[in-house]
Amino acid sequence: MKKIIVLFLLLLNSMTLLSGCWNQREMTDLAFIVAMGIDKGKNKNFDVSFQIVNPGNVSAGQNGGGQGLPIAVYKSSGDTLTEAARNATKKISRQLYYSHINVLVISEELAKEGVLNIIDACERDPGFRTTTEIVIAKDTSAEEIVSTLTILDKLPVLKITKELQSTEAMLGENLKVNVDDFVSSMISKGKNPALNGYKVMGKQSEARKASNLTVSTTEAYLKADGLAIFNKGRLVGWITQDKARGVVWVLGKVKSTDINLDWKGKKNALNVVPIRSKTKVSAKIINGHPVINVTIKEESWISEINTAINIDDPRVINQIQKKMEKTIKRQIIASIKEAQSLKCDVFGFGEKVHIANPKYWKKVQNNWDEHFANAKVIVEVKSYNRRAGVRRNPFWDALK
Amino acid sequence: MEEAKIKGSQLFILIVLFEMGSALVVSLGTDAKQDAWMTILIGMAGGIFLYYFVYNRLFLFYPDIPLTSYIQKIIGKWLGRLLAIMYIIYFMYLAARVLRDFGELLTTTIYSNTPLLIINALMILTIVYAVHKGFEVVARIGELYFGLVYLLALAGFALVIFSGLIHLENLRPMLENGWMPILKVVAGQTLTFPFGEMIVFTMLLPYLNEPKKAKLVCISGMVLSGLNIAIAVVINTATLGVDLNARSPFPLLNTIGKIQIGNFIERLDVFFMLYLMIGGFFKITIFYYAAVVGTADIFRFKSHKKLCFPMGLIILFASMSIASNYAEHAKEGLKVVPIFLHWPFQILIPVMLLIIAYFRNRKKKPQNQST
Repeated sequence: MKKIIVLFLLLLNSMTLLSGCWNQREMTDLAFIVAMGIDKGKNKNFDVSFQIVNPGNVSAGQNGGGQGLPIAVYKSSGDTLTEAARNATKKISRQLYYSHINVLVISEELAKEGVLNIIDACERDPGFRTTTEIVIAKDTSAEEIVSTLTILDKLPVLKITKELQSTEAMLGENLKVNVDDFVSSMISKGKNPALNGYKVMGKQSEARKASNLTVSTTEAYLKADGLAIFNKGRLVGWITQDKARGVVWVLGKVKSTDINLDWKGKKNALNVVPIRSKTKVSAKIINGHPVINVTIKEESWISEINTAINIDDPRVINQIQKKMEKTIKRQIIASIKEAQSLKCDVFGFGEKVHIANPKYWKKVQNNWDEHFANAKVIVEVKSYNRRAGVRRNPFWDALK
Repeated sequence: MEEAKIKGSQLFILIVLFEMGSALVVSLGTDAKQDAWMTILIGMAGGIFLYYFVYNRLFLFYPDIPLTSYIQKIIGKWLGRLLAIMYIIYFMYLAARVLRDFGELLTTTIYSNTPLLIINALMILTIVYAVHKGFEVVARIGELYFGLVYLLALAGFALVIFSGLIHLENLRPMLENGWMPILKVVAGQTLTFPFGEMIVFTMLLPYLNEPKKAKLVCISGMVLSGLNIAIAVVINTATLGVDLNARSPFPLLNTIGKIQIGNFIERLDVFFMLYLMIGGFFKITIFYYAAVVGTADIFRFKSHKKLCFPMGLIILFASMSIASNYAEHAKEGLKVVPIFLHWPFQILIPVMLLIIAYFRNRKKKPQNQST
């Protein structure tokens, strides 16, 4: 009998201990932040906007979720991020929960002054995941980006993350950069960070209205645009479009993209789509000057032919390959020139120099920016054109 | 001494879990930057050397009794007792340190609002219970968890690789600043922590059912755990980069936090937490058990069981009071403890004991030399 009582008491005790929670937080008491926008503040240092999920309205149940908007955006301000976050509790009925932040938006204005005062809060907080991606709000405020509603994806933040993923894979003009990547290239002496730019296109005043969701061509939408280049935590310039692709290519992140080629006087006669690409970067020190070798090998197929051409002939394919190599090389050299004129080593060439020659690196690491600007870069592209879709020669032959 | 016997395989598992214990969790050898993994391997070699030529020889002189007993035989009753008590305090202090590490990690990462005392108390209660049940039980729990640890490790390893996180170029250039910084780290850190901590097994080797196997079991256990730690350090450095690896108090947690496969295999911090619980449990248990049986041995307690609870309490409160904040705790652990505690207790005193034991036993019974 005594044993049973002891056992019972023991079990009763474990009930309080094993339930595990010192302080419980219920789902309904939490505000899940999915995106955070940081602007330069008017009175305080920062204006922070929190994009919070409205869980009832996004659930993918059979009823298609609730009626209201999927997100709510709250703004607050503070001299530090934590102060702003704590101030926000005056406006939000729930406890802010950071573990689900996917995107951190920083306004261009603030980025130009420097982002150093923002980053540590994001790194240090145990709840804040360092896999959070960072984007820069270009020509607009971070708040705009955070509060724009999107069709197709219910949660605007998913539009941003998915879009970055797909555009990195399909076009290669953007990069996925998370907090960790940003910090490690920011502190590295041999690399400068690059972040994605994001724009609100169309009428900004419509962006946050529910009516924006009821039309198929929305009045305002989000668009990835260009790479923001940072030096010492400060935005120093933008690299856009083709040149941005060159950067992504040298970084070895391009999986696929498309290249227009001219053929015998006709502009944009061919379109070739690389499907696999590999980048190798190595450095050498010749006569006390760094020489960087960039080798790119890509495999592609022809996706469009708008002229009469005999692609059954291997020699023609060879010519296309040569053209392709030239075009890619031109693009990459252009983006390297651009980065060199900004004196920002977004490619991480410095790290390669460090690996290749640690002693030389010790001498140049403190003014690598200058050495980078004058470094000789040799680009070599190998193209392999494998196939041309489900047609042989194009119908243009028959038109002749 | 408790009447317990364990198999060679059980001892092997305990050694592996003990050595990996907190060494996998904290940042190890980061002063050597990208060469941190080398410091682990060199430290391991040094640890094996130390074990083979010192601890093992001592064990072979006195295969039936633990360190606290043969200290008295070697340097006399009173001096020996004093030294044995110092060893017991040393083991308890290390148990308290590991407990603090464990609690600190949980409070900084997931239990940010829970008081440290509560977390440590729950852990030590479990450990008191396990030790109360005896060493055979601890060894059997080890067998149970060894599989789980390896499952977690292999799954984690595979996931890190498939997420494409490994950038081996982070490990280059090798030996950028030559061998000196590496050897400094080895002497100041990795030789003594975790490999020199094998000294605690001099208390436990008499439990082994086949004393002849001791050498093989211990060395293979150290090799396996050393390789595991080195692999973990390589992965951490390759994933996080040298700088982040050094700035992060718990690099493995950050590495695991970076796993992202598809859109659903991510945020696997729980892997790390599970490992931490298991590794922390065994490391604290073994230090604590060594302290308990040592005390029982010196003060002639019939059973160690009466000592479990009070000594557990001492460790709990020691873990709270050894440092007032994490910075202090870490600084003590990295700068003070290795030089002022580990070196004397792991290396200087055992070597001295060995020399005295060698001369004593040569006079008395020369047949015992055949080691």
